[in-house]
Amino acid sequence: MEWKTLEARDLRAAYRDEDVVSGLSLTVMSGDFIGVIGPNGSGKTSFLKTLSRALRPRRGVVLLGGEDLYRLPAREVARDLAMVPQETAVSFAFTALEVVLMGRNPHLGRLQAAGPHDLERARLAMERANVWHLADRPVTELSGGERQRVIIAQALAQDTGLLLLDEPTQHLDISHQLSLLELLAGMCAQGLAVVMVMHDINLASQYCDRLLVIKGGREYTRGSPGEVLTAATLREVFGVDAIVTRHAVTERPHVIFLPTGESRRDTGPRVHLICGGASGAALMRELLEAGCYVTAGALNRGDGDEEVGRALEIRMAVEAPFSRISDEAHLANLELVREADAVVVTDLYVGPGNLLNLEAAREALRGGKRVYLLSSRPIEERDYARGAASELYRSLQAEGAVEVADRAELIALVIGGEGR
Amino acid sequence: MKEVSGVTGKLDALRRRRSVVLLCLAAAMLVAAVVAVALGAVYVPLATSSRIIFSRLPLLGRLVDATWTPTQETIIISVRLPRVLLALLVGMGLALAGAIFQGLFRNPMADPSIIGSSQGAALGATIAFFFGIKVGLGGLSAVPLFAFAGSLLAVFAVYVIARAGGRASIASLLLVGIALSSFLASIVSLLMVVSEDRMHNIFFWLMGGLGTGNWDMVLAVLPFIAVGIVVSLFMARDLNLLMLGEERAAQLGLETERFKWTMIVVASLAVGAAVSVSGIIGFVGLMTPHIVRLLTGPDHRFLIPGSIMGGGLFLVLADTLARTVIAPNELPVGIVTAFFGAPFFIYLLKRSRQGLS
Repeated sequence: MEWKTLEARDLRAAYRDEDVVSGLSLTVMSGDFIGVIGPNGSGKTSFLKTLSRALRPRRGVVLLGGEDLYRLPAREVARDLAMVPQETAVSFAFTALEVVLMGRNPHLGRLQAAGPHDLERARLAMERANVWHLADRPVTELSGGERQRVIIAQALAQDTGLLLLDEPTQHLDISHQLSLLELLAGMCAQGLAVVMVMHDINLASQYCDRLLVIKGGREYTRGSPGEVLTAATLREVFGVDAIVTRHAVTERPHVIFLPTGESRRDTGPRVHLICGGASGAALMRELLEAGCYVTAGALNRGDGDEEVGRALEIRMAVEAPFSRISDEAHLANLELVREADAVVVTDLYVGPGNLLNLEAAREALRGGKRVYLLSSRPIEERDYARGAASELYRSLQAEGAVEVADRAELIALVIGGEGR
Repeated sequence: MKEVSGVTGKLDALRRRRSVVLLCLAAAMLVAAVVAVALGAVYVPLATSSRIIFSRLPLLGRLVDATWTPTQETIIISVRLPRVLLALLVGMGLALAGAIFQGLFRNPMADPSIIGSSQGAALGATIAFFFGIKVGLGGLSAVPLFAFAGSLLAVFAVYVIARAGGRASIASLLLVGIALSSFLASIVSLLMVVSEDRMHNIFFWLMGGLGTGNWDMVLAVLPFIAVGIVVSLFMARDLNLLMLGEERAAQLGLETERFKWTMIVVASLAVGAAVSVSGIIGFVGLMTPHIVRLLTGPDHRFLIPGSIMGGGLFLVLADTLARTVIAPNELPVGIVTAFFGAPFFIYLLKRSRQGLS
């Protein structure tokens, strides 16, 4: 097998007069597993088409092994480069094996029939794509996912060094998605080069070595998943709020998407959240949606609430990871408390490290702020400060903090300005 | 490996079955042609007619004693044989073009007239009748010549109009073909209305028939149909690729533009040749490939030869009926093809598990 390099230089492509790809470049070499991500209509599919000799670029050039892709004969290209489109409708009832054998076409002479070697390659491709058991079924009777896998097998049967796939997983169930990606990753390790348009960003992160992010036909950014997948990029490119964590097993970036409510920020009261350990994440979003100006603290970096808060771009008093809240962080927290109209203490766990947070709430009360205690669980169960937390909590109650058991009720009270 | 042999075994069995279908079709076509020559208004025994044909074969002909009358020989050789051969060729050409267009357009409704060839031929023939043109070429009279020219001009016009940015998409070819056909049909109707005395001629030509068949026509049509058969057999596998769509076909190594253009030219020449000598005979080109597909499956390497032989067989049978049922008068063969072909087709359709697609 000869591994040819595919190189796109400054591609521009258009349908009629509308540019769909404006100035994309990419070099694909043996062993690469490149994911192309971007929102709908960003030009991913058109880009892949220009790479697969299906859409002639207006400007720029695609080189296959150093030669202009669009000057090479189709047959020659088909021996080096295979493409799996988003969807392939097959007219007339060919069997799955017949369809996969069509993938051998570029290797056959004009009147040469498929021989034992071609059949063997077809069988291998079908086993890899998990469709060998469908070999003698008419493709017109297969489900969308099965037919897609037959087309994948057809592309594999071409025995090319380069494989382009346009959202090949969209009709596949999760098990087949994973087995396809595992298969491709395995083949990449043996030299195959893969370029794949993907919608599932987490799967792209798990399997691709490099990601190319496209927005509006242009490159937004590129790099390893770790470099590319940040909350800021996801918001800029897709317009979604997300938290980027690490996959616990693979250590690749793992994206958690946040529900997007209608943003009515900054019209309601200013609310400061005293939270931690993911006890305040939901409340942050709900208060923002309700129009509150939300701040939080003091939180350790890396804490669940801190990550959500960062994704939602709220101001926070932040302490180093797993550290006791320092005086500095406490003062920053008190500053935020001073700016707030109301302070909410979630049902967080309290230990020696964050006991100062309850002190901050008491400061708020003494400063004349409304203070709400979300208490779906009694403080005694959450007290890891040997009773110090419970004691502080009781003093909060005694000094006029309002105890609420239900989040919705709490939000209503905060917005209504009641409780003091 | 055990499982491989299972499936390849099935593939082999499938190929074998398809080959048997093709052999049966070939045999049926030959038998039908020989019997058709024997049938007609004047009775000639099958054995006699067969020996007359045999005597004309090169080399082998000397083995047969001439024990028949000169009249019998004239009827068989000069009247019936060219007509049966013409039916064979026209049937082959129409069915071949039908199979090609259904594949090319990935549309089971496509027939040889889909991109304007039939209406172009009709207009050509109508003009020849209307102006009483008398020129001839190579034994062909003005009507077939004009029909042939009209057919090709119409297809060429459709292709040129449908081209946008250097390529003619399948969808625009279909639409332009349908639109231009309607336009041409309206001119034919107009000419018919204003030409009262010749209207009968035009009308009868449009109904289709092989009654005027002679050796000149056979020889004139033969090269076009033969080229069509050879080229389409040569390119049958490429038509299979096109069943995945043009883009996928190109990615599997097909030069789609060149291929489409070649197939359109080849099919149009075959249709133009067929229509010029027979007028417009419906049904053969549309239904034959469907019937054959039910027997051989969709692989064009079997479907194309099957359709060629099926079309020849079908039109020979239909034409024989057309000239014998109410002898000495004749039915237009188009009536026969539809009357018997349609119910048979529906019967096959109901029996088939997969339906058409």
